[in-house]
Parts: sequence; C-alpha cells; structure tokens
Amino acid sequence: MLILQLLLNGLQTGMLYALTAAGFSLIFGMTRIFHAAHGATFVIAAYAYWHITSLAGLPWWVAALGATMAAVIFGAGLYLTVYRRIQRSEASFFTVFIAAFGAVVVVQNVISMIYGRGFVSSSTPLSRAKELIPGLYVAPLIWVSVAVAAVFFGAMALLLKRTRLGVAMRALADNPELVRVYGLDPGRISLMVFVIGSILVVPAAIIQVIATGANPAVGHHIVMISLAASIVGGIGSLSGAAIAGILIGVAETLALLVVGSQWTEAVSFLILFVFIIVRPAGIFGRAHAH
Amino acid sequence: MDMTKLTFRISGLALALAGSIAGTAFAQDHSLGALYPMSGSNAEYGQIFSSGSELAVRHVNEDAMLPGGLTLQIEDSQALPAQGVTGMNKLVSVDQIPYVMTSFTGVSKAIAPIGAETGTVMINGGGVGPDLAELGPYFWNIIPLANDEMRALVPYVVNELGLQRAVLIYVDDPLGQSVLEVLEDLVPQNGGELVGEHSIPVTAQQFSGIAATVRTQRPDVIFIASYGAQQAALVKQLRDNGLDQQLASYTSFSTPTMQELPEAAGALFTQQYIDREKGDALTQRFFDDYIAEYDRDPSIYVVNYYNAVMLYANLAQYVDEQGQELTGENLLAARQAIGSFEFVGSTVTFNENGTVQAPIEIRRLTGNSGSEAVTIVE
Repeated sequence: MLILQLLLNGLQTGMLYALTAAGFSLIFGMTRIFHAAHGATFVIAAYAYWHITSLAGLPWWVAALGATMAAVIFGAGLYLTVYRRIQRSEASFFTVFIAAFGAVVVVQNVISMIYGRGFVSSSTPLSRAKELIPGLYVAPLIWVSVAVAAVFFGAMALLLKRTRLGVAMRALADNPELVRVYGLDPGRISLMVFVIGSILVVPAAIIQVIATGANPAVGHHIVMISLAASIVGGIGSLSGAAIAGILIGVAETLALLVVGSQWTEAVSFLILFVFIIVRPAGIFGRAHAH
Repeated sequence: MDMTKLTFRISGLALALAGSIAGTAFAQDHSLGALYPMSGSNAEYGQIFSSGSELAVRHVNEDAMLPGGLTLQIEDSQALPAQGVTGMNKLVSVDQIPYVMTSFTGVSKAIAPIGAETGTVMINGGGVGPDLAELGPYFWNIIPLANDEMRALVPYVVNELGLQRAVLIYVDDPLGQSVLEVLEDLVPQNGGELVGEHSIPVTAQQFSGIAATVRTQRPDVIFIASYGAQQAALVKQLRDNGLDQQLASYTSFSTPTMQELPEAAGALFTQQYIDREKGDALTQRFFDDYIAEYDRDPSIYVVNYYNAVMLYANLAQYVDEQGQELTGENLLAARQAIGSFEFVGSTVTFNENGTVQAPIEIRRLTGNSGSEAVTIVE
C-alpha cells in the first residue's frame, strides 16, 4: 500500500514539475533564450493568485485569471523590454542569462517588500487528503492536477500541430532566418512564445500555492526543476517536459522506499546526470545542435 | 556668476560636505554588526531579527546612551554558513566592528573561529544547536539551546500528554543533527520511543512522500526541527496528507507565519519565558513601542535581538566609563565584571560558557495569529 501511496503522491509532484517545466522548455526550445526569470513568472503568478483569493476574498477563477494576466504581463514585458533589446545588440547568451537572473532577484525583493518574506498558502479542501481505502490517502488536487495537465498539454499539442502560429513557432525553433525569408516576424512569434510560456506556468503556480505554499525565494528552485525536466525531456519538447516532470516527481517520491529522505532531491539530479551521459538530447530531443 | 561668488559657493559646498563626512564618522563611533538572513527562504527571520535590533538602536539613540550614537550594519547571511563567513569577514576586517549579532546554528558555527581569532564578540539570539555553547569565550547565547528546550518539552509531551511514539522530521544541517541527538537520548529516558527519524534537505519543499512514510510508523507525536518557509510547507503537507497527530517543535514555531498558518493550529513549541508583567520601564517601553510600530506582539526573537543591542549599549557605556578602548576583549571583561543584566522581561546572568539560564515556556499555536501559554518549566 505504501508503494501505491508514494506513487500517487509522486504523480501529483510530477504534474507540478511537468507544468512548471513546460513553459520554460517551450521558451528555451523555440527562442533559445535561457529564460531563468521563468521562476520569477512563477512567483508573480503564485502571489497574484494568493492575493486575489486570500486577501481580496474573490473566487478562484477570478484569481486564476488575475494570475494569468500578471504572468503574461511580466513574461511578455520582460521579452519586449529586456531580452529583445539584448538580442538586437547581439549580446552573448550569458548577457541574457544574467539579465534573467537579475530579474528573478528583483522580483523576489519586490514581492518581499510588498508581502513580507514569509510563507503564503491558500487553504482549500482540494488539498486535504481523504482515506479512499484503508491506508491510502488521496487529495482531490491529484485528479485536478492530472486533468489540468492533460488539458494544457493537449491544447499545446493542438496549437503546435494544427495552427499557423504553432507552425511558425516550430519554424522559429528550426531556423529563424528562414522564418524571416517567408515574411514572418521572428520577434512577433517570440513574443507569442513568451505569452504562451508564461500562461503555462500559471496552473503550476496555483497548484503550488494550494498544495505546498510559496515564498518569494521559491523562483530559484523552480528554475532548477524546470531546467532538469527540460533537459531530461529534450529541449523544446513539450511532451518530453511532461514525461520528464512526471518521471522526476515519481522517482523523487518512490526513492523513499530505498534511500533516506535526505537523498530524494538528489534523485532528480541523478536522473539528469544519467540522461546527460547516456542520452544528452533528452527523451524526445533531436541530436543536433543549433 | 562672478568668480568670487562661485568660489564661495564651492567652498560652502565643500565645507558642508566635510561637515557631513565628519558627522558621519562621529555617528559611526559605535557600530554594531549583524548577520541576518535578509534574502532566501529564511528571509522572514531576518525581518524579525532586524525589527528587534532596529528598535533597540532607536531607543539607545533616543536616550543618548552612547556618545556619537549607535548604528547597525546588517550583512545578509541567507542563513548559509558560506555567506555568513563572507559577511563576518567584512564586518570584522573592513568595518572593524567588535560586536556582531549572529543567528542560525550553521552560520554561527562557521563564523565562530573568525570571532575567536580576532577577539570579536558574537552574540546569538536565534540559533539553538547545543554545541553553540562550546564556541569559546567570545561566543554568547541569549537564547536557550535546543537541549534545554527539548528537556522541557519531551517530558511534557511523553509523560503528561502520554504521547509515547515519537517521530522526528529534521532538516539536514547542524541544527537538525543536534536536535536528533538530543531526542535520541531524551525520548527513551522519558519512557517514550523514537519510532522514526526523517532527515530533509535544506531546500526540500515536497513532503507528501515523507507524510506517507510517517503515517506507516503510527506516531503519537511528530517533532519538527526545521525553520523558515520549509517548516510551514512541511506542516501544511503533513496536515493535508491526513496526519492529525500532535506536532511539537522549538522556538522556530513562534514566527508570524506559523502563528497565522491554519494547519499549524494546536502545535506545541517552546521558548524562553518572558515576564511581560515584570513592571520595569525597559519591558514596558519595548512592548509599547513594538506594538505601536508593527501592530502585533513581538516574537521571542524580537526580544532577543533587542536585548542583544541593549546589552552592547550597557557594556559599551561601562567600557567608556573605564576609559578603555572599545574592543571585543574589553566588552567580554565588562560582561564578566557587571555580572547581571536587566533584559526585557527578565534579569539574566551569564554562565561561564556564555549561555544564559531561563525558564522555558511551552506554548500552543491557536491558529488565529497567536499562541497561548501551556506551562512553564523552571
């Protein structure tokens, strides 16, 4: 029974990781911008949701909408005001990385100044586990997480395969110059990638606030998880990020059966190292470099 | 503008600037250092600690206790030993500060050799690892250490509440290790059994798996030795995963976050006893001014870091009166010479090893932004 319990708990953690990694993987895969500030988008969405539900007392769907708007404004705003300018000046990859990392620190401090440096969470019956059968406790949030992940990943698959925007985004990932030759604007497509990538992080941020709570400094951890899942899944592959997120979440939790609890986080990075050595392109990645 | 006027204006500006520099230098005659976590997942503690020390600095300056005034220089330790060492080196080597307030067991142990080597007083009001009592004459603790807190809590939980099967979830750092060592002795000594122990990485945030494992161990009480956002996340996830056992911890549960967390309601924690009705002006002024400024009761950490600054002011006054240089060595000698000090809510005397004895209060979180006293253990 403990194995089943850990498997279900791992599934919920994995869904959180998958949703967290999806936006990062999409942005990095399509635009080649190392969006370390994805963690900051996560923090902004989490605090916006918490503010609207817990402080303003408004319904969850209003909060979800507010969190989405906040995430999109930040993500797209950062692209327009920082990344695009840096790219225009043809600065190095590291300039973008430092700018993104700086944005995480700024957001962390601004959130701390506004809301304090403590822990925030939204209490809802969704996160309270009930005993389904003797010894097996399951919170409704697990099913909500699975459903939300299925809807978001399904919608993204449709968008990427069946729409002109999706085709343009994939073309951008393959060859930005060719996109320009065809009369499309890579900047505009990149902006849309940032909008969609920022939206993708919102459900993860909401689930985190409900299930485990958040604090202003959580962004760094989010980036680490996103990076690990993106590399394991294959950069730019949404299905890869989803599978890798679930794999890492389940492995971290099931590891409790064989190693001490202090080693569970190390399991994520063990998986990462194994993939880097054995299959550097990740689960669904293509083995060529840009 | 003719040259004469211009010369006068530039001279005036230069004089004003010189005056302001001189004034700054004079005001910095008494500088205190502090190593608080001002960023990262434990930044809430930095906010709490600094609120206590800043209030004390304000009181010292309002009362003109020290000539030239007192300034506070806070370095961000992020509650990490490496950052703590960097901050300590700056305070000691660059700023030449003889008295540094520290916090967190790991940080305190990391900076102790620097303080010992340079003769800098280090005063801890937040870390509770028992080995903080063994860091030499320049390291002082004004908070009871974990062994004292657990010595009060474990008999109450095991004997009086009859909760004999205990599980410990502890953070994998010097604090957690020391609490584990204390509980491994204390729980069996009091007739209980430590049926499980779970170490968690400092950065861990997902605990549903640990909750499932703890459930299989069927504990009556779950001891928690963590801090900051992590302990709040841990408590929330334990409760959400159906563990309704008694929770018990140490002073770390006294933070506003824990007091406001609905899932933490009913949890027991220990802290040093403060007699709010002591009736002296210091205690009254502290509570009045803190509540006026922050609109809530101060936690024990606020009291400790307020006391740490007031202690410095008293020692520095003594050193000045003796006509001595303001060094860590002379501050230590002053502490030993004075013997007993009036703190907020208590009168304290330091032990030989730089610790203070205080009655321990066991409190219960009420779940509505507060806590209530359960019992006091002398």
